[in-house]
Order: sequence, then structure tokens, then C-alpha cells
Amino acid sequence: MTDDALVARAVDGDVDAYAALAERYYGSCARMARRMLRNDADAEDVVQETFLRAFRAIRRFERGREFRVWLFTILVNQCRTAATSRKRRQLRFSNDETALASAADERPVAVIEETSAVAAAVDSLEPLLREAFVLKYVEGLEYTEMATITGAGISALKMRVKRACDALRPKLEAIYHE
Amino acid sequence: MSDVDSEDLFERAGAALRGPSPGDERARAALVEAIRAESRRPRTAHRGAMSPWWIAVAAAAVAFAAGLGTGRAMDRRSPSPATSVASDSSQRHVEFVFVAPAARNVALVGDFNGWDATATPMRRSDGHATWSVSVPLAAGRHVYAFVVDGNDWVADPQAPLSPEQWFGQRNSVVVVGDRRS
Repeated sequence: MTDDALVARAVDGDVDAYAALAERYYGSCARMARRMLRNDADAEDVVQETFLRAFRAIRRFERGREFRVWLFTILVNQCRTAATSRKRRQLRFSNDETALASAADERPVAVIEETSAVAAAVDSLEPLLREAFVLKYVEGLEYTEMATITGAGISALKMRVKRACDALRPKLEAIYHE
Repeated sequence: MSDVDSEDLFERAGAALRGPSPGDERARAALVEAIRAESRRPRTAHRGAMSPWWIAVAAAAVAFAAGLGTGRAMDRRSPSPATSVASDSSQRHVEFVFVAPAARNVALVGDFNGWDATATPMRRSDGHATWSVSVPLAAGRHVYAFVVDGNDWVADPQAPLSPEQWFGQRNSVVVVGDRRS
């Protein structure tokens, strides 16, 4: 079933339809939140809050809009709020969390190591550049969609992506050409 | 390395990060359960619980924005009294006001609505370029901004700015006192 059909049912109060949308977009939202917050536990909290806020607001969803863009707009704002509030509290034991997550990962070690190295390279970017790079290359969004989600202009977003790529190029070359 | 090779490099990096994470299935199931629990919660009406309003403070700001929605930059802003605070025993209603004559829509976003640009649309007053909305807020410090035409995030130029920058942008601050203050 298409997003539009599921959204129409959800707007009419069909919880199963909204749950189907949540299952469909959980993965992409979790990826985005993990990169923006660099912490799996915080990302999980933010993604859940994002879907619950969208659920409470679904009756106000404007037909004709793209659900994924609307959802990501809420998600990006939630990530910004979480990133700010997190500065005021003690840092979590992120290294331990990463180690525990890796222990439960059943992918080949080489794949895990490569993915971790790429993630570390992306995580080293400034927040604005990281946000733009992930939306463009991980989520595959168009610049017009990115502009709606972030509130930034298209030319500014293109510049952010370029700066992100310039910063990442030597690190990615080292990872892939070793 | 050529641009084409570089593009492949970034696409490959993006693809590497698109893989599933070990905890996704558990978290996805927990999310669906949370949505179903949310759907069973009774809904309550805020407005009835808030009256009567008690006008307590008048402070803050108005921005005069020309050219919004037409693709031109905002060219002029002038202040006038605008934001007021009213309360009941537990919360106060804060009225946010923003002047944007060329705007097609304006929304209020802040830490009180999860920075959701769809949650708190502002209403245009008849015959004026003024947009306003009244929001119940708990006592304390709140950070907010206005979203014009779904695109331009604008801090209230007459209100204090938050010291912290969010992705290079500073937002406005309103402090709501409790009733005893």
C-alpha cells in the first residue's frame, strides 16, 4: 500500500495504518538520529518521540504533502532539541554502548569494521554538514526536500554538502583504498 | 580523483550507513507498541482547564517582515509590544505575536512543542499583518522561534536570544514566572 493510502487511513483514525508507516520509516529515522546524536540510546528515544508526536498531529497532516518529508522535519527538530539538552547532562558511556551493540551484530567483522570507520568519519563532521551529508547520501533526498526539512535554502545546503564531501574525501579514500 | 570517482565514494559511504542496526527490530516493535498505547489514551481538552486567564506580563516583540513569501529578503523590522502572559494556577497562557504582512503562513516552534512546525500555527488578525497564537506554558524558561511559510526560521528580534546555538542559529527566550512571582 502506498504512503498516501496509509496516511489517508491514519488520518481517519486507523492505528494499524499508522503503525505500518512507523514500521516502514523506523529504519531511516533511526539512521538519521544515530548520526545526528552519535548515541544509539538517545537516537532510539528521539525516534520514538518523533513518531508519537507525528501520530498526535496526523489529523492535521496536509494531504498532498509527502509523509516522509513531514516526518523528517519533526525528526530533525527533535534531534536539535535533544542535542542541545544533552549538553547539560552527563555524557553516557558511549564507548561501552558501541561495544555492546557490536557484540550483538551478526554481520561479518570486515563489514562491521568498514561501517564503523565510515560512521566515525561522518560523525566527525560539524552538525550542519553532517545533517546535510546524511540527508543527501544516506537518505537519498532531493535538495528541495532537504530544504523543507531543515529550513535552509538550497544553495546553502549544496554548500554544506560540498564542505562535508571535501572533509570526508581523504578519510573515505583511506578506508576504501587500504 | 575525478568528480565521478568522488561521487562513487560518497554513494558507497551512504550505502554503508544504510544497513540495519542490531537493535532496530526490538526498537521497531517497541515503537509500534508505544503507538498502540498512545492510541488508547483518553484525550483531554486543554482550553477548558486554563480559564480564567490572568494577564500578568506584557513583554517581548514583533518583527515587521516585508517581502516574505515573494522570494525577497526581509528588508525591515520594527518593534512594538506584543507578547503577553496569562495564567491559571499551574500554567500561563503566553500570546506570541509576529508581524509579517507578506507571509502566507506563520507557525510558532519551541521546546514546548518539540520544534514541530505543524503543531502551533499562528492566526492572522483581520485587517492587519499581525499573526498571533496563545500557548499554555509551565513556569520556567522556554526557547522559541517563528517559522514563516514553512521555510524561514526567524528569532523574535525583540526578545532575548538563547546563549546556545543550534546548528548555527540562536533562538529567542521567554521566561514564564509562577503565579506567586
